Amino acid sequence: MKLASKKAKVGFFSLSCCEGCVLAVLDLEEKLLQAFKQIEIVESRLLMEKVKPSALRLDIAFVEGSVVSKHDLNKLQYIREKSDFLVALGACATIAGIPGIRNALPPGLKEKIKRQAIKPIKEKVFPLTAFVKVDYLLQGCSINEQEFLDFLNKFLHGAKPRLQEVPVCFECKLRENACLLLKGEACLGPVTYAGCDALCPSQNVQCIGCRGFTNDANFESLDALFKEIGLSRKERYNLFTYFNQLPEQLKHLKGDR
Amino acid sequence: MNYVLSKEDLAPFLAQLSKRFQVIVPAKNDSGIVTFQEFSGQEVCLETERLSSPKKFFRPAKEKIFSFAKKKEGYEVKPVFDKTKRVIFGIRPCDTHALQALDELFIRYYGLDQFYSSRRKNTLLIALQCTKACENGFCQSMGTSQAVGADIVFTERGDEFFVRPETEAGRAILDRKLFKQTGDAEPSSKISCKVSLETHNLAENIYRGFESPVWKQEAERCLSCTSCTQVCPTCYCYTTDDEFEFGSGSKSSRFRFLDSCQLKRFTTVAGNHMFRASRSSRLRQFVLHKFSYYQENHGMQLCVGCGRCISVCPTKISLVEIANSIQKQVLEGAK
Ligand code: SF4
Ligand code: SF4
Ligand code: SF4
Ligand code: SF4
Ligand code: SF4
Repeated sequence: MKLASKKAKVGFFSLSCCEGCVLAVLDLEEKLLQAFKQIEIVESRLLMEKVKPSALRLDIAFVEGSVVSKHDLNKLQYIREKSDFLVALGACATIAGIPGIRNALPPGLKEKIKRQAIKPIKEKVFPLTAFVKVDYLLQGCSINEQEFLDFLNKFLHGAKPRLQEVPVCFECKLRENACLLLKGEACLGPVTYAGCDALCPSQNVQCIGCRGFTNDANFESLDALFKEIGLSRKERYNLFTYFNQLPEQLKHLKGDR
Repeated sequence: MNYVLSKEDLAPFLAQLSKRFQVIVPAKNDSGIVTFQEFSGQEVCLETERLSSPKKFFRPAKEKIFSFAKKKEGYEVKPVFDKTKRVIFGIRPCDTHALQALDELFIRYYGLDQFYSSRRKNTLLIALQCTKACENGFCQSMGTSQAVGADIVFTERGDEFFVRPETEAGRAILDRKLFKQTGDAEPSSKISCKVSLETHNLAENIYRGFESPVWKQEAERCLSCTSCTQVCPTCYCYTTDDEFEFGSGSKSSRFRFLDSCQLKRFTTVAGNHMFRASRSSRLRQFVLHKFSYYQENHGMQLCVGCGRCISVCPTKISLVEIANSIQKQVLEGAK
């Protein structure tokens, strides 16, 4: 990418979500102003005074939220077409996150929600990767602000940003926390991508997987451990599907509900 | 000449040292773990059990190694060496041996790694012998139960420490008002480890079990969580990455980060080839590097028997049990 002389054109877009991730970007305050030396925001509902859908091509599009409706899908495809680099922002966009809980509900409840929705919604809730090519993932609920800056920084310098492909335990050990699993409590740290500096276990709270499952997760072993600790099938199902979609290896947790 | 120091005088001694050094002591952190932290009057923890080692002062998780800035022609590169004058109090014998293993690699073998050696050169070690066995340690098997390369060696004796200075630098920091000379013999620091490893021909025998089914059996439980390598005082593997500053100035820094062979990412090379894709091959790498490869390449063990990797493993995988059962298999097969 050649951006040396001109500013990168950037857009922020929200599909179905709470808009918390773009809010997290706003939270950067001073640091965001630093970044403005090198970027120009051409489209964003939250970051601009007047929103004018722009016909300009984008160097980077940040997209938060899940795809739950035809409307979301159309918008996503439109963004993809006009953007050189698309970044999925936050759990809703990367793993279907909180909206995705709908996928794990019992059939009756699912139907009820579909009927009550204000606009026609899709059978299931999807992350962006289900429909378009996603060039980079910024995981988490909400995103880690430092990670956002690091990504932007690398991107603007033409360096290849790297996914943080290590589990939460890696960072948890560096913070020298007492391990919850060893204390007989559940934790999704071993199967979840790090990058949050082990935020939850460092407060003595279990990791609930908001940064998505790793590509190397040993679900069977962790599930067996949870069982040993004394978690019921339902508790395990709920924990594994809190932010994430139930992995193939754990189908047995579904039961007959 | 040896000395005694009353335990009551430990804090005043450390406080005195703090005027000239960054003093590091073992103490409990907020989550109840004994960690090495900067001394600021907190209670020094003399328990043998500890999950963290002083590795972070020699091979930190994140270490800036140089900054670079674009100049009219080329780049200006400035290396960053940590020259903090440091005293680490309470390093255990196993961890002093761990530093010997790291010295071998970063000072003798690779040529000088100045980032490491600068930290090493500027740090004084006050070792504390173990007088009680820890939960999972097997230092007796590994021959690492006595401190080496320390500047001063402390041994607990009732409500005092028996103090043996080992180097000139060590002797120089002993305050003559607090430390009383003694002609006594050094108290025994012989302990009985609860865990024991068969070490006769270990490197060779365990390598002969390369194809053993044990690796796969054990790896079925492994979460590849990296906890074992993170807490290991000798795991040194790292990766590097750059950080930039916004704006046109192009001022940047290079860092190195601890890494772990238990990760898929670690074994991925050009062309996305993963040379240790299976979990069992990664677990095997950990154990063989400790017990076999290092012995072959450097003539010493990379495991110092601290037992931490066993203590932190959520699925109770033990490299000692693996090594013992593979050796047994190999020797029985040879009969
Ligand atoms: S507390 Fe959770 S994240 Fe931390 S080491 Fe244990 S399992 Fe891993
Ligand atoms: S510890 Fe787990 S749940 Fe908490 S922020 Fe990190 S990834 Fe999310
Ligand atoms: S600590 Fe245990 S589960 Fe985690 S990577 Fe090491 S051997 Fe595997
Ligand atoms: S391999 Fe385990 S027992 Fe050996 S030095 Fe490392 S952490 Fe200690
Ligand atoms: S290869 Fe693995 S076991 Fe060996 S030093 Fe590196 S991280 Fe530790």
